[in-house]
Amino acid sequence: MFSLRMALNSIFREIWLNVISMLSIGAVLFILFSVVIAVYNVEKLTATLPEKLSVMVFLREDTRRDEARALESAIKSENIVKSVNFISKEKALQDMKGFFKNEKFALSGLGENPLFDTIDVRLKGAGSSAKGVNAFIEKLKGMSAVDDVEYGGALVESVYSLKNGLRVFGLTTGSIFALSVIFICYSTVRVLFYRHEEEIEIYKLLGATKGFIRSPFFIEGSIIGIMGGAIGMCFFLAISRYVFGKLFTEFPLFSMIYVPDRSFYILPVMGFVLGLGGAVIALGRLKY
Amino acid sequence: MIVLEGVSKRYENQDALKDVSLRIEKGEMAFVTGPSGAGKTTLFKLLYLAEAPDEGLISIAGFNTASLDDSTIPMLRRNIGVVFQDFKLLNNNTVFDNIALALRIRRVMEREIKEKVTAVLKLVGLRHKADAYPLTLSGGEQQRITIARAIVGEPTVMLADEPTGNLDIENEEGIMKIFKLINNKGTTILIASHNRRLFDNTGRRVFYLDGGQLVKAEVR
Repeated sequence: MFSLRMALNSIFREIWLNVISMLSIGAVLFILFSVVIAVYNVEKLTATLPEKLSVMVFLREDTRRDEARALESAIKSENIVKSVNFISKEKALQDMKGFFKNEKFALSGLGENPLFDTIDVRLKGAGSSAKGVNAFIEKLKGMSAVDDVEYGGALVESVYSLKNGLRVFGLTTGSIFALSVIFICYSTVRVLFYRHEEEIEIYKLLGATKGFIRSPFFIEGSIIGIMGGAIGMCFFLAISRYVFGKLFTEFPLFSMIYVPDRSFYILPVMGFVLGLGGAVIALGRLKY
Repeated sequence: MIVLEGVSKRYENQDALKDVSLRIEKGEMAFVTGPSGAGKTTLFKLLYLAEAPDEGLISIAGFNTASLDDSTIPMLRRNIGVVFQDFKLLNNNTVFDNIALALRIRRVMEREIKEKVTAVLKLVGLRHKADAYPLTLSGGEQQRITIARAIVGEPTVMLADEPTGNLDIENEEGIMKIFKLINNKGTTILIASHNRRLFDNTGRRVFYLDGGQLVKAEVR
């Protein structure tokens, strides 16, 4: 209780230094959280991408029906595959006729059925990597009954590389911002520690333990961190309420941005952990 | 209660203390005197572990200081009440909080702190100044607060470095009365002073330091 009182006294005594630290931490945590949300949204959007694209496997003309069925079973047994659907060339022609029923002239010159037997393959979204999908496509192409394989591979590859790039970016910037918060708390606590040096000397001479001397600074670092996190949370709430609101109406694409419910409560917790960490590093080894 | 055996301390090739041995018994009140630079303050710094001796053994309040580490030094300091020449008061804290600090460090309950601080303030005659800040008080009053802070934890040993250094005779007498009172309760007291009035005709032992050496010990 006494340590808390000392920490609060110190915060109010050096109010401007502490307010500036809190605002800086708030801004950094806000940016950090925005990066995390961006990475999270890209992850979420791309998680089901392979599932949404289908792989169309065209079979050779001379493939027998029993061979096609065997191939269908073989493809289905692959881990990456969610479902398969065999479409015979007769069924494909029938579907095409149904599609062009009002424009019969489009099919008038058609003699023998020019279509191929195909297998429509749907992939699992979760756990699929671009590398895994490519390897699967190559495997399909190497099968004797397969004539050709169509898949939006280039799209998936570029989305995956964007996703990986964002992950690296998120991790790098996240680490830099987290270190920045630690550094801000470190510097603030260090400055406060030096300003209280004379008091600390008196505490030591009166028999104060290291814990007694350090605890107000730990509390102070934690409070600065928590307050910084709360400021960052307020920034985010204000921006998500007013700026996103306007963006959603002007640009519908932005309405896809998803912020997990109450996830911003993590900011004060992050502030607390990083603030305490900064204070611990700032005090280092205390000598008598 | 306070024992020094062959204690030496050097600062940059200059002897601050040289082979000093002395013994102060439990419950005794003794004095250390000598001219400026004789080693009085160095001796006190060694006793409350602000400095470590280069040679020799020091035992105080039952602790052998050589065997103490960072975790046990605070324990020793809580057993020693120190009255500093420059007071070492926290000017942002009230008189009450300055004295209470010695007890808060010992994790004493707030109710008990209030009782004890009030009692020592009464003893040093400053009960009415509990809410004042040190810088609003006279030198004599600040010195009495330092004494109150030193005794509130009921230490077994008390060290006072020039406790009447800048005070007039009236304040000097008041402070010596307080020391006698504390000593009568059994606290061992060592006072460093170059002021002969404090120890002449008291029947107390006086240790003379000169050039870092103990040159004489006598009862005055």
